[in-house]
Amino acid sequence: MRTLRLLWVHLRLGALNELQYRGNLVAQMLQSLISLAASLLGLGIVFSKTDALGGWGPYELLAILGVYFLVGGISQLVVQPSLSRFMEDIRLGAFDFTLTKPVDAQMLASIKQIEVWKLVDVAIGAGVLGVALAGLGEGVGPARAAAFGLTLLAGVAIVYSFLLLLATCAFWFVRVDNILVIFQSMYEAGRWPIGIYPPWLRLSLTFLVPIGFAITVPASGLVGRLSGDTLALAVALGVALPLVARWFWRRGLRRYSGASA
Amino acid sequence: MNDLLALYRAQFRTTIAEQLQYRGGLAIWTIGLVLEPVIYLAVWSTVARSQGGAVAGFGAADFAAYFLVALVVNQATFTWIMWEMEYWIRQGHLSPLLLRPVHPIHRQIAVNLTFKLLTLTVVVPAALILGVVFRPNFAGIEPWTALAFIPALVLAIALRFAIEWTLALAAFWITRVTAVNQLYYVAFLFLSGQAVPLLLLPGPVKAAAEWLPFYRTLGFPVELLLGRLSPQDAAVGIVAQVGWLAVMVVLLNAVWARGIRQYSAVGA
Amino acid sequence: MLDLRAADVNSASIARFTLGRTMDDIRRPVICVRDLHKAYSVPEREAGLAASLRSLWRRQTREVTAVERISFDVAPGEIVGFLGPNGAGKTTTLKMLAGLLHPTSGEVDVLGFTPWRREPAYLRQMTLVMGQRNQLVWDIPVADSYELNRVIYAIPDDQYRRTLDELADLLELDPLLTKPVRNLSLGERMKCELAGALLHRPRVLFLDEPTLGLDVTAQRRIRAFIADYATRHDATVLLTSHYMADVEALAERVIVIHHGALRFDGPLDGLIERFSPFKTLTLDFEGAPGDLGRFGEVIEAADGHAVVRVRKADAAAATARLLAELPVIDLSVADPPVDEVIDRVFSDEAAGAADEAIEVAS
Repeated sequence: MRTLRLLWVHLRLGALNELQYRGNLVAQMLQSLISLAASLLGLGIVFSKTDALGGWGPYELLAILGVYFLVGGISQLVVQPSLSRFMEDIRLGAFDFTLTKPVDAQMLASIKQIEVWKLVDVAIGAGVLGVALAGLGEGVGPARAAAFGLTLLAGVAIVYSFLLLLATCAFWFVRVDNILVIFQSMYEAGRWPIGIYPPWLRLSLTFLVPIGFAITVPASGLVGRLSGDTLALAVALGVALPLVARWFWRRGLRRYSGASA
Repeated sequence: MNDLLALYRAQFRTTIAEQLQYRGGLAIWTIGLVLEPVIYLAVWSTVARSQGGAVAGFGAADFAAYFLVALVVNQATFTWIMWEMEYWIRQGHLSPLLLRPVHPIHRQIAVNLTFKLLTLTVVVPAALILGVVFRPNFAGIEPWTALAFIPALVLAIALRFAIEWTLALAAFWITRVTAVNQLYYVAFLFLSGQAVPLLLLPGPVKAAAEWLPFYRTLGFPVELLLGRLSPQDAAVGIVAQVGWLAVMVVLLNAVWARGIRQYSAVGA
Repeated sequence: MLDLRAADVNSASIARFTLGRTMDDIRRPVICVRDLHKAYSVPEREAGLAASLRSLWRRQTREVTAVERISFDVAPGEIVGFLGPNGAGKTTTLKMLAGLLHPTSGEVDVLGFTPWRREPAYLRQMTLVMGQRNQLVWDIPVADSYELNRVIYAIPDDQYRRTLDELADLLELDPLLTKPVRNLSLGERMKCELAGALLHRPRVLFLDEPTLGLDVTAQRRIRAFIADYATRHDATVLLTSHYMADVEALAERVIVIHHGALRFDGPLDGLIERFSPFKTLTLDFEGAPGDLGRFGEVIEAADGHAVVRVRKADAAAATARLLAELPVIDLSVADPPVDEVIDRVFSDEAAGAADEAIEVAS
């Protein structure tokens, strides 16, 4: 409850503050639209040569694109900026102030910085998903919707935990500020179903950098291509990884405050 | 001339020292650089397989060869000046550079070349590993294509540098160039042959791409080396590279002169 | 149970207070530090490639003691100056009191809490301000940063209003609140920083170099404000500073640490008494000074003006002799400036002498 309230205040302040620079909104919209256009162009060229990519039809790939924007937008809206800020704070010593606050430090560090205009990406993601659903024609039944909702939630939890695990390394190593960029550059691979990649890359994108769980799996849930096993695995990881990340964070914090020394 | 050489040497040394400080950054950058062609390769190999093994004459092994060489050419030709120039102008770092007795472009060229040499040490092994993994078809490479590839690559480096320098100067007039950069990046992605060989583009787009300069900085040297071009096409291409380079250098000088006037008028 | 423990641990300090005050004045100390000790192990390696490679698998570490078994109490409402050169262990101690660092051993009780457990109930009652670091959000208006603190500390609306009005009034913040932090001067930023750190009306303030880098006017204003806040809210303040003026203006009591160890704890005057066995004689006279070396150590000598340092015990005799032997126009005897005394405490040759002097003043 407190978390939501704090998140809301951060969002509101970020928005109020950004409203002074409306140019940023235009710039972000332009960027997101260009990125969307590039993806659509790519899809267009691919589907001018084939009917299905690794078994995925055009609207199914559109669903992937929608999830790509949605999850990427959420991550860049709050998770990535906050965790970057956290690492910067560690480096500059400002993290001490986070620790003196009477709220959970992990929570505060995870929502501290918000890039409001990334909401544009979230909106684009929702829009593309809508178009994909309309195109798929057949109504998405409650089972698929539930599978999508569940896997999307798990996907966001997995991405957040993964990024938190990376960021927590800052407690041990000071110069890790661009470690999060790894995720961003690999996230690009999520525009396509990870099934098309060679096995070594597919495995890396599933278990090393969990982009498969963040994008392909929820999209599969939506278009009805999700197996029960994968669903169970996604949900299990979505529960387990946050716990692991939490444990790791606490270890980091203990080190930071010298409790383990 | 000797002064310039000395400048390049000094810049070379500082850049090496600087970059060695940021080994982590270098590694991350390599991941992105290598992953991108792998993504396109995976997509197009999948398309080829679904079309019975080949699409527009490209089989999986041909795509592998194409995107592997494209990786190396892209590594050799890419610049980051469009982002850096904005930073220089916004933060006022350009002013001290203008006060030096040499044109700032020399510094940039020196840094760029040094960075390329340095990253070659990670890109070449990466390309070799990918070569083992993807089994590319290099059968088209002949002595003459390999020979012609060298001037084509050098010209491609110069041409892309000149294009991106000129575009970077937009920062003199536009406050937020990120969108401009991104637009350019997307256009480049499709029109240069980076995301897809030109041959697979729809007819009119392909024709336009052949006339535009982007293809000459990436797709052209790749196809030349792989023996996908006739000697005549290769010759035409090199002439086109020289022509475009001349145009861009003239343009660059003109825009630079106007930009500097604008910059000093604002009094930054 | 808490009272029992306090009575047990603090019997010494209570005894100390009973000497001068009536029983009604006695209140349990707010801060109670016992044998607080902090040692770090830092990696150590020789220069050179071979050594750095060796250190990859066999890491040499060295124990560094940052704080060495220090003990002290701070009574409610007290303002205590924490002095020591860079690296003396001041900030480390402050961080342990604020709950940021775990000690290697020893106990700390602040308001009945163990700081490093970081219980919300404790964090809500204390604040930490570090002059060299900023906790306001750089790009947003000051008032928005405060709004965040309001939510984080769950400050009730009316209390928030009242506190903000009061702070804004005292620090003349009104014109600053709507500006983004990046547009503020260093002095303005510090004022806003302080106000932000006090919105939840903490009872204990840890101030680490609160006036660092500020000009003299801004320093004076911050000092006045801290003193004012402390009296209004009966707050307890522990502050470190490089500027003696801060300490002289604010603290009746100082704690000096050097190389992590407690060197002195007592009133500021006591510090001068203890560590400066000298007096400074400043004289104006007619003509040339001649040889003043026979009176004491000559600090300054020119025609008509001289400064001589003599041992305290010899001060009276030296004064008499000077008056008799020189055509003195004016003569004054003074304690050396506090800065000089502090320097003496910290200088290494003084360390030995200081050791004898350690004996907590009462």
